[in-house]
Amino acid sequence: MRRMDRGEFLKSAGLFSGAVLLSGCGSGSGSGSSGSSMASHPPIGSEPGNLAILEWGGYEAAGTKAQKYWKVPGKAYTDKFGANGITYTYIVNDSQALQKASQVPFDIMHPCNENTPDYVSRGLVQPWDTSLLPSFGELNPFFVDKSKVNGEQYMIPWDWGYASLTYNKDHVDPADADSWGLAWNPKYKGKIALWDGAASNLEVAALKLGFPEMDNMSSDQLDQAKQALIDQKPLNKFYWQSEYGDMQPALKNESIWIAYSWQDVPPILGANKFVFMDPKEGRLSWFCGFMLGAHTKNYRHAHEYVESFINKKACVDMMNIYYYGTANSTVQASDIKDETLAKSLDLGNPQAIAAPDVHLQSWEKNRSAYDLAWEEVKAA
Amino acid sequence: MSATSQTITHPARRRRRRVRLPRGLLTLPPTFYVVALLLGPIVLIALYSVNLRSQYPGMATAYSTHNWHDFLRGPNNPFRDRFFYSMKVTLLVSFGTVLAAYPLAYYLAFVARKRRYTFLLLVLAPFFTSYLLRIIAWRIILGNNGVVDWVLWHLHIVDQGHSPSWLIYSTFSVALVLFYTWVPFVALPIFVVLENMDRRVLEAAQDLGANGFTAFWRITFPLSFPGVMAGFVFVLIPTTGEFIAPLLVGGPNNYMFGNAIQSLFSSTADWNYGSVLALWLVAVVIVLMVVFGRYLSADLQEREAT
Repeated sequence: MRRMDRGEFLKSAGLFSGAVLLSGCGSGSGSGSSGSSMASHPPIGSEPGNLAILEWGGYEAAGTKAQKYWKVPGKAYTDKFGANGITYTYIVNDSQALQKASQVPFDIMHPCNENTPDYVSRGLVQPWDTSLLPSFGELNPFFVDKSKVNGEQYMIPWDWGYASLTYNKDHVDPADADSWGLAWNPKYKGKIALWDGAASNLEVAALKLGFPEMDNMSSDQLDQAKQALIDQKPLNKFYWQSEYGDMQPALKNESIWIAYSWQDVPPILGANKFVFMDPKEGRLSWFCGFMLGAHTKNYRHAHEYVESFINKKACVDMMNIYYYGTANSTVQASDIKDETLAKSLDLGNPQAIAAPDVHLQSWEKNRSAYDLAWEEVKAA
Repeated sequence: MSATSQTITHPARRRRRRVRLPRGLLTLPPTFYVVALLLGPIVLIALYSVNLRSQYPGMATAYSTHNWHDFLRGPNNPFRDRFFYSMKVTLLVSFGTVLAAYPLAYYLAFVARKRRYTFLLLVLAPFFTSYLLRIIAWRIILGNNGVVDWVLWHLHIVDQGHSPSWLIYSTFSVALVLFYTWVPFVALPIFVVLENMDRRVLEAAQDLGANGFTAFWRITFPLSFPGVMAGFVFVLIPTTGEFIAPLLVGGPNNYMFGNAIQSLFSSTADWNYGSVLALWLVAVVIVLMVVFGRYLSADLQEREAT
């Protein structure tokens, strides 16, 4: 048998390498970094102004090229300082957010509240100076208090909402849709999409199984929740990663009929067709907010940026465009165009997020076990 | 000629002192590269795999082979099952790709003649676009109400809204996308071997009465086999760790081993378990390299011997 000689091998390897290079030419990525720790904070004019932000897709400041929907959140900042200095790095779930924040320093991060202690214990964040945020006094005290760690304001709460299953009532019998068990109903095999949301799915399984402490399950309960999700897996069409990129288009084109979602889906896709389920075991609820990088060189820029999101006008715009709740308690039901949304979010009740029939997602003491359990579900 | 003039030498002819660098010095940059960027990270993940390091703040670190034991011997370990599934997909893709790439390479080497490099460029043209975008394009082609679905519906093969479940989020879709990705890469080494083949042996075969198929089967294919093996390895090794295509077109039941590694490192802080899987993959790739590398290294030794 004739073997490939050195020249031929090198030639083919060269062609191969060239092809690999070509294939890499079209791709790009972006992330940013900040600098070293500072004891004092110079005037804003002395700061570099190159904000590196860890963010969910769709939450970019108005005025940036990436933001196509809302007009107000972030606009005050980009009007004043321009949009070119802002770099976004995107996340698809909270576990991934924590990992990215642990690997690259960011000026601002936007995690959800149940993760706050992890950011603090890892030394990734520092407290905000609330005196630099004129709208801070308008924020719901319940959220503000929950956002403190060791008495310090590590998170500025901004968005909140519920989580449940949204279903297409043209295809799903409403009689089947009174429980989280809908996601386990074999009648809808191949038409269901849960979120690739790590611990969230284990919480859902815990509610279905009737475990009272969804974020503090014993190892036996966690095993049962994991097994329940493994049993559910064949019914799933996919685990969605992006609300706007994966889940909503799939619901819209009816390739799925049931999806784990937030309350925003029916108003966006059409409340005449889509229903946000009210399960007998209770909905999940969540709130997220902004955290400040421990070593940011853009201390004052970061405060300006966050102020441009938490002021009332920005919050009203966010609610009317994205249908999430807002931590700004001065927003009234009359500010909201969708009356159903205003009613479902119970605007005016500062503790609606923690109502008796709602399960507020909270910090998991045994996070590593939750993480591994979810990975085992995906690998199973 | 005076004695004085004899002692004068022309500057250009003056014998220069050559500064000789120790040969070992030249190997320093690649040695540094290998140690710092390849061996260093492997040592680090080895430390994680035996729990001597941790990403979880406050978690105790002490030598433990628990994760290794769980992966290799644990009952119904999902990651181990995922590895075997991935190897099945990898072999399927590797064989399929070689089968498809061979005719392409043959055409380029023997039929296309003067236009072969133009065709080669055309074959490589899709690679001017990023890998990610090409896979996203496949999602549109294979997805519900996508191009294939639309064609099947208009040909009355399926009813509208009832696209075949295997079209996307299936082993089929993962294998198809990987197959598409690798065919040009596999065609390249086969093309190079065929291109450099001594055509006189084919003429001799024909002179001795061999028909086209016999000449191909007994001469061309054996001579091109090293290129086939090289192409096979080009696909086999990267596909064992593939995670992008399964992530985007695989769905929940078709994740590959690479997805488990990627997810453990990027979505969780459980680098300890991720390191076990990563090291296992490194070991498998080394074994594959040793097995298939023989087809390349044996020839080099033969050449050097002659």
